[in-house]
Amino acid sequence: MTKNLIQSFFLFLILGLVQVLVGNNISLFNIATPFVFIYFLIRLPLTLNKNLTMAIAFLAGLIIDIFSDTQGMNALACTILAVARIPILKLYVTHNDDITSPIPSSKSLGVAVWLKYLLSTTLCYCLVITFIESFTIDNYLISLYRAVGSTIFSFILLFGIDIIVNTKNEKRL
Amino acid sequence: MKNLIDFLLRHSSWFVFAFFAFISCWLLFKNNPYQQHIYLTSANAVTASIYKGASNVTSYFNLQSINADLQERNALLEMEVLSLKKQIRNYHSLENPIELNFADDSIVCDYEYHFANVINNSVSKPKNYITLDKGSLDGIEKDMGVVDQNGVVGIVCGVSDHAARVISLLNPDMHLSCKIKNSDFFGSLVWRGTNPYYATLEEMPQHVKFQKGDTIVTSGYSDLFPPGLIVGTIEGRESATDNNFYSLKIKLSTDFTRLSTVRAIKSKMANEIKQLESEQIESEQQ
Repeated sequence: MTKNLIQSFFLFLILGLVQVLVGNNISLFNIATPFVFIYFLIRLPLTLNKNLTMAIAFLAGLIIDIFSDTQGMNALACTILAVARIPILKLYVTHNDDITSPIPSSKSLGVAVWLKYLLSTTLCYCLVITFIESFTIDNYLISLYRAVGSTIFSFILLFGIDIIVNTKNEKRL
Repeated sequence: MKNLIDFLLRHSSWFVFAFFAFISCWLLFKNNPYQQHIYLTSANAVTASIYKGASNVTSYFNLQSINADLQERNALLEMEVLSLKKQIRNYHSLENPIELNFADDSIVCDYEYHFANVINNSVSKPKNYITLDKGSLDGIEKDMGVVDQNGVVGIVCGVSDHAARVISLLNPDMHLSCKIKNSDFFGSLVWRGTNPYYATLEEMPQHVKFQKGDTIVTSGYSDLFPPGLIVGTIEGRESATDNNFYSLKIKLSTDFTRLSTVRAIKSKMANEIKQLESEQIESEQQ
């Protein structure tokens, strides 16, 4: 468990830097912004204490917030993601026995379920953050475009990151 | 009592969630654009140093276009120098030199410039902020106007020792008093929406005549910016919100997507004016 947490910490360090220095500056077609750092939240061990997961998510969101001058926005969205993660997974996995390892991945869940889980959590996060972000703006259609655009963009990047992280692990073994 | 503790423990995750959600919402909503402290913003020591490191690398990418801008500006200034020289020669050639009357230009002396580099910037969020690599130790102060070579950029809203946070013109909380060049009609420039190249000039009286392409400049009614700084050009008319006023769509002259070196303007008169105003208010209250 400790090893997993340390791994997650380094994953956050790298993805957080990528998010802050690159991701936040991208705005594809003025609507899609990638959120890559949530990958480490999605991959946190499922057996981890719920309260601890929320605390980690909140802190991670807060750190990203500090860098991008959006106090509380990412923190709230990350906390919601940490709560919604397991119910979302339960939508696709009916028996707990199907999960072979505490860390959700394409191996432990099966490729189809893992991709569904990844897409759903990304959509959840992007919807939450876009609607918090545009709280004061009346034009909800633009927010919806932004949420969907960001989801697609983030999902593609997260899928790529997933492949990189997993092949690294295999090589080490 | 035991039941109560049991209940709390069993549902602890709900309370923890409520606690974190409350803190986030508090951070989200207490936040006013002119907040004093900068610890939770990108102008604090750690974040500023990371952004400085990154900007050391990325600042090279924009150099070519900035160079072009500067050369254009240089040419304009050169032309202005030439015309001014010509004017002075004209005055000298007169037998009785009249006292030189630089009504508009002399005001420039009342302002002091500080150069800074933009190390973090956003244009796609609903509320945008900019971080500069100079802070209070370099002479940057709160409420200084910020401009770049093309036009107005924003206003300093928070300062730490080595970094400053600027509220960008691309932020609905920022209102800038502007007028159409060579006329005295002024309105309030505000950014609404998502396009970083356009803003709206509101509260223009119905009878003002304008043409597409007219220049919009700062009015100088706030002491943050000297009057006559270029803000943008008129692109067209927007639907009126009120029968007596109309709104203009303004194409901003500053390209916010590639800011690099900016100048923070310190008005030497600002303190004096503020002092005068506060004295006035005090004497009225007595």
